[in-house]
Amino acid sequence: MTDSSHQRVVITGLSVVSPLGNTIADLTQNVFAGVSGIKRLDTPFADQLDCKIAAQAQFNPADHFSKHAYSMLDRTSQMALHTSIEAVKDANLVISDALKPRMGIYLGTGMGGSHSIEEGYVRLYKEGLSRLKPFTVLMSMNNAAASAIASEHQLTGPNQTFSTACSSSAVAIGEAARLIRHGYVDVMLAGGAEALLTFGTIKAWEALRTLAEEDSNATGASCKPFSADRTGMVLGEGSAMVVLESLAHATTRGATIYAEIAGYGTANDSDHITQPSVIGQSATILAALKDADLPPNTIQYINAHGTGTLLNDTTESNAIKNVFGSHAYDLSVSSTKSMHGHLMGAAGALEAVITVLAQRNNQLPPTINLVNPDPECDLDYVPNVAKSLPKLEYAMSNSFAFGGTGASLIFRKFN
Amino acid sequence: MTSATDNQNPSLDEISQTLAKMVADKMDIDIATIKPESTLEELGLDSLDTFDLIFNAEDYFHIKVPNDQVNISTLQDVSTLVQRLIIEQKK
Repeated sequence: MTDSSHQRVVITGLSVVSPLGNTIADLTQNVFAGVSGIKRLDTPFADQLDCKIAAQAQFNPADHFSKHAYSMLDRTSQMALHTSIEAVKDANLVISDALKPRMGIYLGTGMGGSHSIEEGYVRLYKEGLSRLKPFTVLMSMNNAAASAIASEHQLTGPNQTFSTACSSSAVAIGEAARLIRHGYVDVMLAGGAEALLTFGTIKAWEALRTLAEEDSNATGASCKPFSADRTGMVLGEGSAMVVLESLAHATTRGATIYAEIAGYGTANDSDHITQPSVIGQSATILAALKDADLPPNTIQYINAHGTGTLLNDTTESNAIKNVFGSHAYDLSVSSTKSMHGHLMGAAGALEAVITVLAQRNNQLPPTINLVNPDPECDLDYVPNVAKSLPKLEYAMSNSFAFGGTGASLIFRKFN
Repeated sequence: MTSATDNQNPSLDEISQTLAKMVADKMDIDIATIKPESTLEELGLDSLDTFDLIFNAEDYFHIKVPNDQVNISTLQDVSTLVQRLIIEQKK
């Protein structure tokens, strides 16, 4: 994103609802301290699950919205709406009438209003009722959250929802950055939201045999990316949102700038719906480097997709080695999913926020639970303890997905 | 407030009170501010909120409101409609 005819794109607002806290301060403290947000699932149906663990967000909509407002929104939309409001506040952004048509929302979500669709099915198939609530369609549709955000802030610019499974919100951020870069808009809210910890959805994930077993010693240690004793991924929920704006717009209004989006790339694994490929992931990373016009050896840190499945960990490590060559052994890679679980459609956005926090705080978040490294995964995964890196100029966040869509974002420290 | 099984023939006033409770609960407003002559718009209900209110009334009073009869303005209109449908649909 260096063409002089294009706008540079910067991040001026951050907000999260996450298993590691619902403020940037709490997230910062926990993610660098190596705290796990993975716990026994706190829900009445947990006893009927094989997998009883998850990374839940402590989010009560009544703390933030009127009953009338939140009762018409799925949990996914409630969390997304909240993070959109907080991100705008964090950016000290006043959305004037003049800005409204020059500002939009791009949101990623994998399964949209999972809770609402499932509640509907429970009424029909379990309780034997003949009718669904009038809001069922409006609460469960995938674009409900983005629509709620656009209405809340009265945005009349682009409003689109990206659903590419685990890479949804990384794609949303990248595509939003492109809109600003090419001058279509000045400001974008971009991020993701996911709330799929329902009985039916967890059962569906159990059937895929990708979920981690509960660690017998410590539930919080159940997700073990890059570790020889990994057993899989842990489902999480939450939302993360960023305010993106053109550098010109941000500097004119005197905004605090967290980081610059230096590049974004997306590519596709074309051969299998679940199995990742080194070729597809390499193409994704290379596309981001090309977009940023950066040589591979400038990247110092990668926030990995790092789900904690055997296929992901080895494929991603090999893709990094494929693209970066010997530099792969100089840079650091970590999977923060070891702490916050896999937020699916919100994962890319949360990990983008964490990557920016790494730059802001000059330290790299760890991959926790990495006691027995997998010999096939031989990079520096920042095991267990955060690592100081005073001049973290360029950092990358990777997201790869079931269905094949990969997205890599490159962040430049803003001086 | 799930069903009117105890009272098969509620009076207009009882229906009105039940609907007012539904509106107060849904819109998070003081029930004392709700009058029969209040329009649904004045109470803050948009078209979707009205559908939701009718849905809840259908469940509670065991009636079915036909699509062509949802054009209502005041809470009184809803009460009258509900009472008429209770009588009609009991036959």
